[in-house]
Amino acid sequence: MTVIARRLAGHLARGIVMVLVVATISFFIIRNIPGDPIAARYQKLIEGGASPEAAERATAVMYGFLPKGTLWQQYLDYMSGLFHFDLGISVTNPGTPVTEVLAGAAKWTVLPVLFGTLLSFLVGVILGVYAAVKRTGKLGDVLAVSGSLLHGVPQYVLALLMGAIFTTLLPILPSDGTADILYEPGFNAGYIGSLVEHATLPVVTYALASYGGWILAMKSSVVTVLGDDFILAAELRGMKRSVIFRYIARNAILPLFTILALSLGLLFGGSIFIERIFNYPGLGFLLIDSITNRDYALMGGAFLLITVAIVVANILADLFYSVIDPRVRSTEEVS
Amino acid sequence: MSTVILESAGTASTMRRNFWRGVWRVMLRKPSRLVGAVIVLGFAFMGVFGPMFYPDLLPHNADNIYAPMSGEHWFGTDGQGRDVVALVVTGSRYVLLSALVTAIITVVLGTSIGLFSGFKRGRWDTVLMRLTDMKLTIPGLPLLLVLSTVWKFGSAVEMGLLLGLLGWGGVARAVRSQTLSLRERGFIEAARGLGLSTTHIVGKELLPSMAPYIAMNMLIAVTGAVYAQVGLFFLGVLPYEANNWGVMLNLAVFGGGAMTTTAALPYMLAPLLAILLLTLGIVLVVDAMDEIFNPRLREE
Amino acid sequence: MPQEAPGVRVDGLTVVYRTPAGELPAVRDVSLTLEPGTITGIVGESGSGKSTMALSLLNAVQPPGRIAAGSVEIDGLGDVVGFAGERLRKARGAHIGYVFQAAQNSMNPLKTVGKQLLDLGRSHGVADLRGLVREAKELLARMGLDGARVLDSYQHELSGGMRQRVGIMLALVLNAHLVVLDEPTTALDMITQANILKIVREVHAERGLTTLVITHDIGVVAEVADRLAVMYGGRLVEQGPTRQVLGSPRHPYTRGLITAIPRLTGDIDEARALPGRPPTLATVPKEGCVFRERCPLRMDVCDTVDPDAVADGSRIVACHAVNVREHA
Repeated sequence: MTVIARRLAGHLARGIVMVLVVATISFFIIRNIPGDPIAARYQKLIEGGASPEAAERATAVMYGFLPKGTLWQQYLDYMSGLFHFDLGISVTNPGTPVTEVLAGAAKWTVLPVLFGTLLSFLVGVILGVYAAVKRTGKLGDVLAVSGSLLHGVPQYVLALLMGAIFTTLLPILPSDGTADILYEPGFNAGYIGSLVEHATLPVVTYALASYGGWILAMKSSVVTVLGDDFILAAELRGMKRSVIFRYIARNAILPLFTILALSLGLLFGGSIFIERIFNYPGLGFLLIDSITNRDYALMGGAFLLITVAIVVANILADLFYSVIDPRVRSTEEVS
Repeated sequence: MSTVILESAGTASTMRRNFWRGVWRVMLRKPSRLVGAVIVLGFAFMGVFGPMFYPDLLPHNADNIYAPMSGEHWFGTDGQGRDVVALVVTGSRYVLLSALVTAIITVVLGTSIGLFSGFKRGRWDTVLMRLTDMKLTIPGLPLLLVLSTVWKFGSAVEMGLLLGLLGWGGVARAVRSQTLSLRERGFIEAARGLGLSTTHIVGKELLPSMAPYIAMNMLIAVTGAVYAQVGLFFLGVLPYEANNWGVMLNLAVFGGGAMTTTAALPYMLAPLLAILLLTLGIVLVVDAMDEIFNPRLREE
Repeated sequence: MPQEAPGVRVDGLTVVYRTPAGELPAVRDVSLTLEPGTITGIVGESGSGKSTMALSLLNAVQPPGRIAAGSVEIDGLGDVVGFAGERLRKARGAHIGYVFQAAQNSMNPLKTVGKQLLDLGRSHGVADLRGLVREAKELLARMGLDGARVLDSYQHELSGGMRQRVGIMLALVLNAHLVVLDEPTTALDMITQANILKIVREVHAERGLTTLVITHDIGVVAEVADRLAVMYGGRLVEQGPTRQVLGSPRHPYTRGLITAIPRLTGDIDEARALPGRPPTLATVPKEGCVFRERCPLRMDVCDTVDPDAVADGSRIVACHAVNVREHA
């Protein structure tokens, strides 16, 4: 148990440092944006007849720090705001706190990405086993090549091709938002049907883009395990094929679970291109929107959230690994 | 292993000749690799000389916008009636030049940091590798997007510089683990014992033996850099200062409506095909390099 | 199920491996008899074909290798070379036990020994799993281990000597009477080696087994084996009762092996290493004697004619020089 606790503590410390680094990057970027939007905002409020105090308060609420005082003071203000989960106010959505805007967008990213990841994991792992077992045959070749190609092509190329095929050439799937506006959002068949229809392209594209990685990883993992001594040993002890298959499967899939946990870290930031191309209003879409609209508080918040997800996934992956692999669980001397 | 590498001077020329013969054999074994090399060389040619075949300002024609594919315009025309093939060719220079800059920075930074880390070990190693890890964890694309608000990447060199500065982590890791493994085999101690200087050990013994790993990781980094910059321009967060495949994609999708009408489809497909072809070429070349440099596959 | 130690007759066994240079023999025309209730040792350097030979006893030569000719007749079972599918699977484990080298990880790292024991029992249709566990605990206790604790352990929690005993337990727990031990003491420290060998000898006698020990260490065979067979380049060059072979080796290779062992008493200079290197799959001569390149007694005939294995009482030697001298 102490081993896990020590590893966890190490990861936590590194994670906190990561978040601090990212927050610092955000701060300096927001502060150094050409044209100094914060000072401009402050100036505008003063010109609009606000008292310096009121203007200061309004600016501080919006960006989390004041355009006055030493750099250090501004930095501390910004950081202390973060610790209270205060990320400022979104300019494009007047009066709405950044946290609220992020929460609204997050659901449109998390669900499709989660679904797409699990789908591609499942298909990729199963086909990866085939690719490993039949690696000398035609089928194995085809599977491995399809994996390398899909793995090598960038996400936006796939998304654009999918869009070109399924919305432009054969218009059977929509790529405009989350659902048709003529349906009343709620629990009715029309709305839900439209939701599913609109989510199909993002989910399938995401799954296709990550499927190649899974099939390649699973194939190499199975090939490694097949060469392990204990598989031959089980065979020489006359174990049933089904038993040996279970041994291979469990040992081969173990490292993939870690990658799965890590890839869940991309839940928030992994589908920027897909969301932009299919006009799906998730976090990636929001991040680009905030940049084009100069909504810097929102931009900083989205960037931070995307990073935090990765840090958390790293920690969970490690914890998870120590739970499923007895070797990590009990070896005290392993550092 | 060590004897082969240590006797460098006299046999170097024969070794080089054998090496090229080996390269040729590997290339011939799978013709697809030759195709890969041809593709990569073709792109290099296109980036260097391609733009010279076209005037600085491509002719436009307001009466012939988003023209369909034809003998005259193989991939149709864009929103200003310019020939799409000409756009792809002239746009390749930015993409390939910045990829080249990225490659150089990635190799120089990644190799020196990896070598230093693996050679010195101890505290420096820990600090550098923690840094590398951290860089590898910060989400790359969101970071680039955020950076685009303060840095406009006016020129291809600037773009390549930034991508290189963000992308050396993979090469550094690979070089470090190679250095450590050579170290573990007593390689460095043996060279020291022969009275060789550190510069000699690094320059004449270590680097040549890991050149393949560096080259392979470099190619992977270059591919990533091409994707990243085309993607950045495609997302439209950067000003369209230069003609570039990403700009073409952006204009085709968000200006020409390639996701809703078929008119702008050829305009969008052309840069996509260019990217796919370049990827294919690089994948095939990496596959060939893998076999050339992997002693296990080379032996028979 | 045979309740008595079975005899084994290997006849004309040839095993080839498919390589880019065609099919190359790893074991060539080997004949060997394991008398019921004896311990036979096969000695050879790495690449001599001894491990391939051991796997052949279970018809388990791994691809790209295959048994090209010959038979392996086991009492109560038949010729296992002709076995396939379920029949072969059931013979393995239940009739023939195989013990891996201790350094190899012969157990699933993610399951406890006990769970793998149950998998083994279920695979062989053992109805009384409780009885199986009881038997396993007794066997482990017999070898000086705490059975309950070992069954509750993962492989990585066991030391090399403990793993080897668990391996022996798994080979015997289904009541197999023919046991093959592949390098049983390699990678173990001296004291553990001695312990394992003692266990092998005692368990062999108590349970009435026929045992085959594969090793590169002539000391191991001297310790446990009744009969000794020496392999070189895929050929069996000499076999006979252990004492006789060690006391008066006839084949020049066996002689070389024995003089290469330094003795505790006596001059270290007397130990002479065999000159040259053992052949690999690719360098084994296609015709003539496989040992001639390193042989001090080389004659012209050795270049062209592979010497037959000639029996002389309980000894069998395949060497032109030796057989000419003795029969002419």
